[in-house]
Amino acid sequence: MNVAAKVLLTGAGSLALTSLAVGVSFAHQAPATHKKTVVTVWSWFIAGTMKQAIKQFERTHPNVVVKYSYYNYSPQFLTALKAAAASNSLPDIIGLQPGSLTQQYRPYLAPLNSLAAKTWGSHWESKIFPVDRAQMLMGNPPGNHNVYMLPQESQVICLWYNTQIFSKLHLAVPRTFTALVHDAHALSSHGYIPMYQGVAGAWQNENVYEMIADQIAPGLFHKAQQGQAAWTSPGLVKAMTVWKRLFTTGVFQAGALGDQAYPTGAQLFADGRVGMMALGSWWLQEAKYAPPIPPLVRGMKGFAPFSFPALTAHGHVSPPVGGIDVGDGLTKNGARNPAAWQFLASLVDGAGEQASLNALNDLPAFKGFAPTAAVSPHISKMYHAFIGQLSHAENQRFAYPPVQTAFDNAIGGVAAGKLTPMGALKQVQAATKKALGH
Amino acid sequence: MTEEDSVLVQVGTRDAMDLPLNRSRWRRSALYLYEIPALAFFGIFVGYPILWVIYTSLFAATVHGATYWAGLGNYAELLQSPTFWMTLRNMALWGLITIPVQMIIGGLLAYAIEQYTIRSKAVFRTVYFVPVVTSVVVIAIVWEQIYAPYYGILQAGLTEIGLHLNFSLLGSYDTAIFALIIVNIWEWTGFSMLMYIAGLNAIPREIFDASHIDGASGWRLSRYVLIPLLSGVNKSLLLLGIIGTLQTFPLVFLMTNGGPDNASQVFGTYIFLHGFTEGQTGLASAISVVVLILAAGLTFLQIRYLGTQFLSRKGDA
Repeated sequence: MNVAAKVLLTGAGSLALTSLAVGVSFAHQAPATHKKTVVTVWSWFIAGTMKQAIKQFERTHPNVVVKYSYYNYSPQFLTALKAAAASNSLPDIIGLQPGSLTQQYRPYLAPLNSLAAKTWGSHWESKIFPVDRAQMLMGNPPGNHNVYMLPQESQVICLWYNTQIFSKLHLAVPRTFTALVHDAHALSSHGYIPMYQGVAGAWQNENVYEMIADQIAPGLFHKAQQGQAAWTSPGLVKAMTVWKRLFTTGVFQAGALGDQAYPTGAQLFADGRVGMMALGSWWLQEAKYAPPIPPLVRGMKGFAPFSFPALTAHGHVSPPVGGIDVGDGLTKNGARNPAAWQFLASLVDGAGEQASLNALNDLPAFKGFAPTAAVSPHISKMYHAFIGQLSHAENQRFAYPPVQTAFDNAIGGVAAGKLTPMGALKQVQAATKKALGH
Repeated sequence: MTEEDSVLVQVGTRDAMDLPLNRSRWRRSALYLYEIPALAFFGIFVGYPILWVIYTSLFAATVHGATYWAGLGNYAELLQSPTFWMTLRNMALWGLITIPVQMIIGGLLAYAIEQYTIRSKAVFRTVYFVPVVTSVVVIAIVWEQIYAPYYGILQAGLTEIGLHLNFSLLGSYDTAIFALIIVNIWEWTGFSMLMYIAGLNAIPREIFDASHIDGASGWRLSRYVLIPLLSGVNKSLLLLGIIGTLQTFPLVFLMTNGGPDNASQVFGTYIFLHGFTEGQTGLASAISVVVLILAAGLTFLQIRYLGTQFLSRKGDA
C-alpha cells in the first residue's frame, strides 16, 4: 500500500469515526425531542399568521410540535391533497372550504361532533355564526348531520371604494345602480379604473352575482344550487341581466374578462388607481402587512366598504353575503393523534385564532372574538360592522363542484357576450339536475 | 481408425460441440434477466398507472362521494360534451400553429445569429433563450400586463398608431386561445433556436463554401442544403413539439384557467378541472385515456413516416 492510499484510508476511517461519534452524541441528546408529539397540518392559510398561531399553541403545549406545510390553493394544495388521499398519507389536519372541497375529502375526514361537544359543551354550535353553521354541513348526504370541518375564519363580501379618490372627485358612495354607473363614468373620465373585476378568476364573479341575487330574492341562489328552486327563476335571471349590465354600462373596466383580481387588481387598488372593487372583510389584513405598504392601506385610511347599491331608486342595498373563509378538517389519520384535535380547536377557538385575528386576517368563526392588537379606530369600526353583518349574512358558498363549474362557465359566458342570461342559467339548471340526480 | 474409435471421436466431437452451445444458449437466456429491472421499472411506473387510469375511467361518483360502476358512461359523456370538442380543437390549433412557427422563427434566429454576428453571438443566444428558463408564473404575469387593454403595454404601443383595444385578448371567447399560443411561441422559440444553432454548427464548413461556389444562397441554400442537413433537428423539434402540446398546462392554467367559458381549455386544464377541482376522477381518467390514445396514435404516425433513427443517429443535430 503506497503512502497516498494509506493517507486516504486513514482519512476515511477518521471521517467514519467522527460521523459515528457525532451521531451517537446527537442520539444521546435526542430523547427530549423524540418524546414530542408531532401534528402535521396542510393548508393555504397565510404562513406567517399560522406560524404565530403555532407559536401560541406550542407555548401552552410544550410536548407538541406542529409542522405546517403551506401550499398555494390551486393547483398545489389541491394536487397535494389528491395524491396524499390516494396514498393514505394525509396529514393530521387539512385546510378546507365548506361544500365542494369538504365533500370531496369527506371519506378521509373524521366527524368532529363528539370532539367539539367534549371540548365546548353540548351547545357548542351556538357559539358559531349561523351562516357558518349552515356551511359546515353543506353538501352532506341527506340524513348525515356530521360535521367534517370547522370554520377557522369567516368573511363578509362587499364592495370597497377608495375614499380619497371619491373625495377628490366629489363623488358620493353609490346607493343606487344609477349612482353606481354615474360614479363609474366619473372615475373613468378622470383616468381611474372604475370598478376592477377579475373575470378570469371565477370567485369574484360569483361574489358579485350573489350580492345582486340576494338583493333581488334573498336566499334564492342558495335554494337553486340545492335543487330546491330553478336557476331559471325570474329573480336569478334578472340578477344575471344586472351582471351583464355592469359590463355594458362601463362599471367594470374595459378588458375585465382577461383580468385577475389577485395580484393585479389588488395591487392597482392598493396603489390608488382603482375607484371600487368587490372584495371582502379580508381586505383589512392589507393594513397589517410588513412594510413597505402603500400609504392608502396604512390603517386602511384610504378605503371603506359599502354594500352593492339598490337596483331601483327606492330599493334596498344588497344584504350581507358571506360565511366561512377558511376551515379545517381532522383526517382519519389525525383522529388517532389527540394533539391534532387540540391544535385544531386552538385554531378555531383559542390562542391560534386570536393570533390570526390580531393579524386582521379575517373575521372569527366563533362568537366573542375580536383583535386584541392595536388597530386604528377606522379599522376597529369597520371590523365590528362586519361582525354585525356576519350574524345575518346569506350563504356565499357552493355545495357541489359540478354546479359551481357550470355556474362559473355560465357567468363567464354572459360576460363575454356568448350566452344570454336565460341561456346561461338553463345550462346551470341542467348541470344541477344532473349532479343531484333529479 | 476402428469403428469404436470412430464412435468415440463422434461422441467426443458432439460433446465438444454441445457443451459450448448449451452454455451459449444459457448465456443468451441469462442476458434476458438483465432486462428485468427495466421491465419492472416500466411496469411499476408506466404500465400500472396506465391500467389504473383505464380502470378508474370506468367508474363515476355522485356529488355525495359514492362511487359506482359507469362502464363506458364517462366516455359517452365526454364525446357528447361540447367542451371536449372545443378542447380537441384548441389542442389541434396549439400544435399546428406553435410547432411550425417556433421552428421557422427559431431557425431564422439561429441562422442570423450564426451567420451575421461575431462578438455578440453569445449575447444574442442568451437573450433569446432567457424566456425558456424564465418561470412560467413570471411569464404569465408579464403577459397579462402586456395584454391588459386598459393600461397594458400592448395598448400603449397601439395608442401610438391611433388604435384602441377595447376588449381583452385573454378574456374574449374568440381570441383567448390565440393570445395564449402567442405567449407559448414567445416562451419556447429560444429552444428551437438553440437546437438549430447546434444543428448548424454540426454542418461542415466545406459544405457552405461549396454551396457558395455553386452559387447557392438565400432560398436555394435553405431548400437544398440547410433543410436537408437539418432534418434531424426538424424531426426532433416536431417530436418535442407534439409532446409539449399534449403536456400544455401551466401557462393556460395561470392565464385563463381554460376560460372564458372553456374557450381556451386544453387537455391539462380540462383534466385538472374534473379530477381535482370537481373531484370527478372517473371523467378525468377518461379524458386521460383519450389523450393516451391520441399520443399513441401520433407516435405511431411519427415512427411510420419519420422513422426512429433521427432520435439516436449521431451527427444530424
